[in-house]
Amino acid sequence: MELTGWDAAAVCAKAITYAATLGAAGAIFFLSYCGSLLDELLRSRIRSLAGSLLIAAALASGAKVLLSGASMSGELAGMFDSGFLGMILGAGEGRATGMRMAGLALAALAIPSNPRFRALALLGAAAAAISFAGVGHIRGLLPNAAPLLLLCLHLLCAAFWLGALGPLLIAARDGSDREAALLASRFGKLALGVVALLLAAGAGVLWTLIGDAAQFWSSDYGRMMAMKLLMVAALLSLAAVNKLYLTPKLLSGNAKAVIYFRRSVKTEMVLGALILLITAAFTTVAGPPQ
Amino acid sequence: MLKQAILALALSGTMLAGPCMAHAKLQSSFPAKDAHLTAAPKALTLTFNEAAQLAVLKLTGGGKEIPIAVDKNAKASPSFTFPLPALAPGSYTVQWTAVAADDGHVTKGSFAFSISA
Repeated sequence: MELTGWDAAAVCAKAITYAATLGAAGAIFFLSYCGSLLDELLRSRIRSLAGSLLIAAALASGAKVLLSGASMSGELAGMFDSGFLGMILGAGEGRATGMRMAGLALAALAIPSNPRFRALALLGAAAAAISFAGVGHIRGLLPNAAPLLLLCLHLLCAAFWLGALGPLLIAARDGSDREAALLASRFGKLALGVVALLLAAGAGVLWTLIGDAAQFWSSDYGRMMAMKLLMVAALLSLAAVNKLYLTPKLLSGNAKAVIYFRRSVKTEMVLGALILLITAAFTTVAGPPQ
Repeated sequence: MLKQAILALALSGTMLAGPCMAHAKLQSSFPAKDAHLTAAPKALTLTFNEAAQLAVLKLTGGGKEIPIAVDKNAKASPSFTFPLPALAPGSYTVQWTAVAADDGHVTKGSFAFSISA
């Protein structure tokens, strides 16, 4: 598989769009289910993080469309060619980007501290997270809607998990050890079910996309998916250490636990970023074998 | 709040519904891939497995690009035919980029053919 520089740039823009959108959505979810445990300092810093990620997601979404034009044409002029952009937007990307932008705008209601807008902000965050299902290989399986719904569930769970890492790091860095412990514990309890749903939904999507198992493993798509699964396994292992070892240490008041917890969360963020980069690659430059 | 969340997901799901097609693969072409022709073809035809929009089509031969006009606003179709000028004997390469009409997947490919003297 040959990749041009523009192809690579389009993949990077897609990965950044994933990270910023899922990160923003997850931070807004975090504010909702952990709100009662947050003091005003942490709440303010997490809202700032969410706000920055919302802006980054909107900019990256726009850049993704422009870079797709360059990738298609193989040159810079493609970014500003109305013909290419019209094709990209008309072929599902317009639907997905429109839904994401609307969701991000609604999610921005979470930034001011007015609780009346919380439900709308959550709606916006959810819409932004599942907007990625508005375009891509899964749509080739319609009118069977089950894979599409599974992908939406997978995306929401990914936003919950990956989007909590930033707020947890803020809590471990800026909050008291007790606050960090309580937040990690609250997240960990919810994450058990969410991660199970994430894995089940992801497996369901993969199962429906694989036409021929033998072809799958010999294809670029299959090899990149295998790398993603390895990263997910590493992330799960780290999450298990956090939940089963570090969080109890935090709750017991162990002085060094918060340092290890911060390092662990940062490592999870790096693994999460790599997972999103690999996902951006195989959903852009490869396709499931048919 | 649970009811609002379920309603939100349902509404979001309706926005994602729509007609669908798989991503486009080149099924056949004329000239065919690696064809050795005894006479210059009068037209270039690309046939895909699904309706797609052709974004880029480049025909190069002898180090030069032979201009082919591609209408980027044309409706999606499984087949495209372009008239060709008189081509001199030699080796030619066709590079194409297509966008599947609904899933938005972009596929690229190329093939070569030759014309003998």
